[in-house]
Amino acid sequence: MNVSIDASFKSLNKHHEELCGDKVEILKTENANIMILADGMGSGVKANILATLTSKILGTMFLNGAGIDECVETIASTLPVCKEREIAYSTFSILQINKNGEAYLVEFDNPMCVFIREGRLQKMPYTERTIAGKQIREYHFRVQLNDCFIIMSDGVIHAGVGQFLNFGWTWESMAEYALKETKITLSASRLASILIKACDDLYDKVPGDDTTIAVARIINVKTVNLYTGPPADMTSDNQLIHEFMEGDAIKIICGGTSANIASRILDKPIKTSLEYVDATLPPIAYIEGIDLVTEGVLTLTRTLSLLKQYIKGNIDYNFFDELDKENGGSKVAKIIIESCTVFNLFVGKAMNEAHQNTDLPFDLSIRMNLVEQIKEAALTMGKEVHVKYY
Amino acid sequence: MIITICIGSSCHLKGSREIVQKLENLLKLHNLNEKVELVGSFCIGNCKSGVCVKVDNELFSLVPEDTENFFTSEILRRLTYDCYQL
Repeated sequence: MNVSIDASFKSLNKHHEELCGDKVEILKTENANIMILADGMGSGVKANILATLTSKILGTMFLNGAGIDECVETIASTLPVCKEREIAYSTFSILQINKNGEAYLVEFDNPMCVFIREGRLQKMPYTERTIAGKQIREYHFRVQLNDCFIIMSDGVIHAGVGQFLNFGWTWESMAEYALKETKITLSASRLASILIKACDDLYDKVPGDDTTIAVARIINVKTVNLYTGPPADMTSDNQLIHEFMEGDAIKIICGGTSANIASRILDKPIKTSLEYVDATLPPIAYIEGIDLVTEGVLTLTRTLSLLKQYIKGNIDYNFFDELDKENGGSKVAKIIIESCTVFNLFVGKAMNEAHQNTDLPFDLSIRMNLVEQIKEAALTMGKEVHVKYY
Repeated sequence: MIITICIGSSCHLKGSREIVQKLENLLKLHNLNEKVELVGSFCIGNCKSGVCVKVDNELFSLVPEDTENFFTSEILRRLTYDCYQL
């Protein structure tokens, strides 16, 4: 099964709290992806510690192959006991999806996972049992391409309670809304950010509880090839372009000279537009057979700043508005963020003499540094990255 | 007549966008949109001086402030000359 997992999450802190009492861990191993959401009792520091301990213990133990029984027993005997309530408590959901398509979901006191398959909400059969005095739900199943799983803390289904809605959002209404948004979005991060925005709106920007949405979508492996920079030795031009064009990948060229090289070798003309959709970036261009052609260093600088913002987690509506813009920098960033699991960089090492000009208001001689940072950003996002220098 | 303006990194920083806008306005003002086509191009290879602008196949280096002069002395002159030729 040649599929990949796109996972992302967003949280709202309870009003006035600096720390979130919900915690999400997303882990990748060679054979599996694991997503854990823990919701610690109470709010603020205490809840944050409970949730962090729970998610970290579960993550570490799962990674090392421990079974759920052991994990739950460990948590029950490890969590610090709350003085007021005299119990140690954090809810959790764990979703484990193996590369071979087998999946395992276990839930303890969190709202049920919303499971969307083939454009419909699905009910999955589960079994209930008690471990260390805790009643858990367990699901075993196989994933399919385009499946979408949404796990959440109870702050989501209670959103708006006593404010706009008598009983809060409720699981059913939330699931219906999620279904609708799943159909019109591609990535886990966009879906998570739309759903959390809905919660925030229902709370009228004053969340009564820590609120978290975590999304995992089963997607096809999507390869992106990005070529930037002329090779140090002109005789490599041919080899580079041919390797770049190989396979079924989204193809991006960032760089004027790079585009000229590709145009010459592929024998396809470049059509440059003069439409400045963004005053600070050169317009994009078109070459038949290439998905996106842009200027180099300035565009990639913009792309990098968007990727960094994404990694920091500043991804609200405004971020996606920026990502949807038609300038080259946004377009490249959008492809890397939303349509890429494997990222191949083809990088020429030639120095552009004009870029060494110190009179320019911007240091253009930073291609290598940019490439390095973009590579790091993509790795942080969990993409498989390959860089080849020429 | 085709005027090609380089929009590569260097030229962009030296003001190709401003030149494009000025030329667009001048062409409109002189009602020349049908006679002259503006096109963009990536690096033309003469990055060390100003913004690279090609008129048919002749290469010029411009800074934005020179655009009006360039328009009068090169574009208008050539178009008038073309008329006499006819």
